[in-house]
Amino acid sequence: MLGEFEYLLITAAAALGENAYGVSIREEIESTTGRQCSLGALYTTIDRLEKKGLLKTWMGEATSERGGRSKRMVRVTPKGVHAAKTFYEAVMRISRGAAWVGS
Amino acid sequence: MSDGTRTWLAHGLLQAAARLLERDERDAVLGDLTETGTSAWQGISEVLGLVIRREVARWYDWRPWIAAFGVALPGSLLLMGVSLSVSCTYQRLTGGAVSGVCAPSGHEGFLLLACQALLLLTWAWTGGFFVGSVSRRTLWMSVALCLSPCLRCLSKFHDSSVSGLCLLLFLPPAILGVRYALRNVRMRPATALALAMGATALMIYTWGNSAFWIFNWALILPAWYIAILARSTGRGAGA
Repeated sequence: MLGEFEYLLITAAAALGENAYGVSIREEIESTTGRQCSLGALYTTIDRLEKKGLLKTWMGEATSERGGRSKRMVRVTPKGVHAAKTFYEAVMRISRGAAWVGS
Repeated sequence: MSDGTRTWLAHGLLQAAARLLERDERDAVLGDLTETGTSAWQGISEVLGLVIRREVARWYDWRPWIAAFGVALPGSLLLMGVSLSVSCTYQRLTGGAVSGVCAPSGHEGFLLLACQALLLLTWAWTGGFFVGSVSRRTLWMSVALCLSPCLRCLSKFHDSSVSGLCLLLFLPPAILGVRYALRNVRMRPATALALAMGATALMIYTWGNSAFWIFNWALILPAWYIAILARSTGRGAGA
């Protein structure tokens, strides 16, 4: 079972598709949740998810706006999609009937 | 301090902090900080946060603990004793005067001394190889734990007959073992097994002549770990 931040990261990466890399994922998480996301949390979670086979990463192209440095690109694997779906369904199931869930 | 100096200093510190990351990650992280226009001071805090998380994550594994606290620290203490014992025995056998720092061990003779010296080399080399193989990213801690008792004993050691450096005889083979492991050199299963069996046979002979302490048996464990690992992976312990 995924952790909450792991789920957020996979979902953000999946939504960003081909444009998923450190900065874009971080911005997506921060703008959606309103929470600060540190580089440390982001990259250590990406590593952990990659070790579990839920993400795949590679070094992308270098751009001038990044001072000629490469991006670490991220892609969600089919196993990652399955894990995120399982997490989402569990949250939906357990939330049924909860007072804060709108009718 | 002027603003320009502060900015220059902050960028220097940021680059230095980023050097603690691996090359690809350093590239990605510094690129992210540039792209988002993060200030150098904020960047330092972000990079150090990542470095600390990385370091902490490494210690979730059992291997760094075994390497540092199970092999490097106790191995250093035991091997200092063996180094001193070998030095004192050599002194006595070659007619040198030895003060009370090291009592005669068992039935001393050149054959036994050769066995002890060979064992010292093997124990130290396999210990170093083990530490370098299983915890290369936390090697700094293993090195610190190995060296701290050495430095302490060296500072306390005062004997007219043998030099304090005799305590450190084990360090060169141990360093060679670490270097061998860091170079990713693969040890063949047959070689690793022969090394472990040879060392064990030497230990039995030496033990039979009351030439070492019972706790020194623990020093054979890295050799057998390497042999078992090389056999089970079939690709070598250094892989």
